[in-house]
Amino acid sequence: MKPLAVLFCLLLFAALPWLTSSNYVIAIAISACVFTTAAAALNLVYGFTGLLSFAQLGFWGIGGYAAALSVVTFGESFWQGLFWAGTLNALLALAIGYPALRTKAHAFVIVSLAFALLVTLIARDWVSLTRGPLGIPGLPAPRLFAIEFKTTGLYYWIAYAYAAASLGFLYALTTSRIGRTLLAIKQNEPLVRAQGIAPMPYKLAAFAIGAAITGIGGGIYAFHLKIIDPLFLDFYYMQTFLIMVIIGGAGSFWGVVAAGILMSTLPELLRFSADFRMILYGAILLLAMLVMPKGVGGLLAMRRARLKAVRP
Amino acid sequence: MTALLEIRALHKSFAGVRALSGVSLAVKAGSITGLIGPNGSGKSTLVDLISGFQSVDGGNVLLAGVDITGRSPQKVARAGLKRTFQTVRLYEHLSLSDNLLIAAQQFDPASWVDELFRTSRYARAAAEGEARCHQLLERVGLSRYARLEAGLLSYGEKKLAALAAALMSRPRIVVLDEPVAGVNPTRIGAVVDILRRLHQEGQTFLVIEHNVEFITRLCDFVVVLDQGRKLTEGTPAEIKRDSRVLEAYLGLSAEMAAARMEGAP
Repeated sequence: MKPLAVLFCLLLFAALPWLTSSNYVIAIAISACVFTTAAAALNLVYGFTGLLSFAQLGFWGIGGYAAALSVVTFGESFWQGLFWAGTLNALLALAIGYPALRTKAHAFVIVSLAFALLVTLIARDWVSLTRGPLGIPGLPAPRLFAIEFKTTGLYYWIAYAYAAASLGFLYALTTSRIGRTLLAIKQNEPLVRAQGIAPMPYKLAAFAIGAAITGIGGGIYAFHLKIIDPLFLDFYYMQTFLIMVIIGGAGSFWGVVAAGILMSTLPELLRFSADFRMILYGAILLLAMLVMPKGVGGLLAMRRARLKAVRP
Repeated sequence: MTALLEIRALHKSFAGVRALSGVSLAVKAGSITGLIGPNGSGKSTLVDLISGFQSVDGGNVLLAGVDITGRSPQKVARAGLKRTFQTVRLYEHLSLSDNLLIAAQQFDPASWVDELFRTSRYARAAAEGEARCHQLLERVGLSRYARLEAGLLSYGEKKLAALAAALMSRPRIVVLDEPVAGVNPTRIGAVVDILRRLHQEGQTFLVIEHNVEFITRLCDFVVVLDQGRKLTEGTPAEIKRDSRVLEAYLGLSAEMAAARMEGAP
């Protein structure tokens, strides 16, 4: 049942450019692909491992700039740019994570926030590298052999492939024993250590994988916008990822994926009322938290438990 | 029999207050050794030092002749010493069987590559883990709750679950930190039976408790701590007769304490 539903969704999303010719709808779908995947990456770090990381915003920005600068300043291809967006972020995450993950949970939150703010400052003030507030406009359409991804419909395939590959990888990771160990680290770290498992490699790996996936997403999103400037590091993005994880249910893979798709389309569905759009959005968020305090994932788990009613 | 766990002149102070001053003891392979002492005698500190959760100020801990002093908790566990916690620790939001399976995964041959690609080695390790988990849950009488979230168990059941988890990796020795504290007195007998059976199969235990009755019923050798020092050691019968133990432990005169011990259920 579930594999069939997943396959159906995969095919439906793959067929989107044939189902609609509206660039507006496809652009929303691109955002949905990228944001949902970045949220799933945050879910790995926060939902599974218990590390509330605001550094994701920094990784997102670095990914965007790394991809843009690779192409515009260093004359590399878009694909090489994405490679750097991922690799640079993974290395940075290891470098920051190694000292920061030794601190207590609260201190880690502050360090991650400071990192994100630092990246924002660099984007704005290191003018010789990032061109400062003017940003880098006119990012060219990527090419692969003879294909030039210059229409929104074609560019959608890149976002789709990124989302499918990353989500597939995250699914395999979180449903393996590694995912279970990450949940265990979140719930009781001393017990994990008493059972012979060193938590640090797990935390570092989760942080670095989350950073790489977020960074590649940033690169893809920047080339979708065709411009990158310091607004790319607006807190709006972090907030979006976090809302998706919380509404989806921290630690629930499918919950966050469902919430990611829903929350990407919701602000657009509310466009019928230009004045009250954000008020309605906020009201829906509040209502969602009231009805499902543990998110979509919590709701699913509760229904499953009720069906089984295990305790005799 | 040789000493499986040997503690030599262990010292520990907290901000100038001496918690342990030169405690030595040995746990023979295949024994159930008890460690008793009143509150504040240094029992819990000793467990934390042995298991690597706190640093040692002086002295050594040897496991099967290998010095494990100063190793991290995970390395102590990998060397074959597993511990439980006084305030029971479980992964409350994971199923009971997952709680047990995690406890063994560091000890099977499947690497993270095997895990990620679900190789046959992973499948074998997982199947072996499942079998062991099933067997141990049966042993502690919790198999019908295998799929239940561990947080939903009663306190006594959680203590048994933590014991089963500690046994998953077939450790050389299990250090139990107050296995019956807070457990319904009517169920203590069941815990004694479970531990005895495991002991008969060759499992070595070091049991920390301040329930004297429980320790003297269960153990074959008992060490008594008082104010960070070893007061005495011997068989349960010897300990029960020792007036110093009764005085230190119960704060009563020897006669009164003896009378109370006789009257205990």
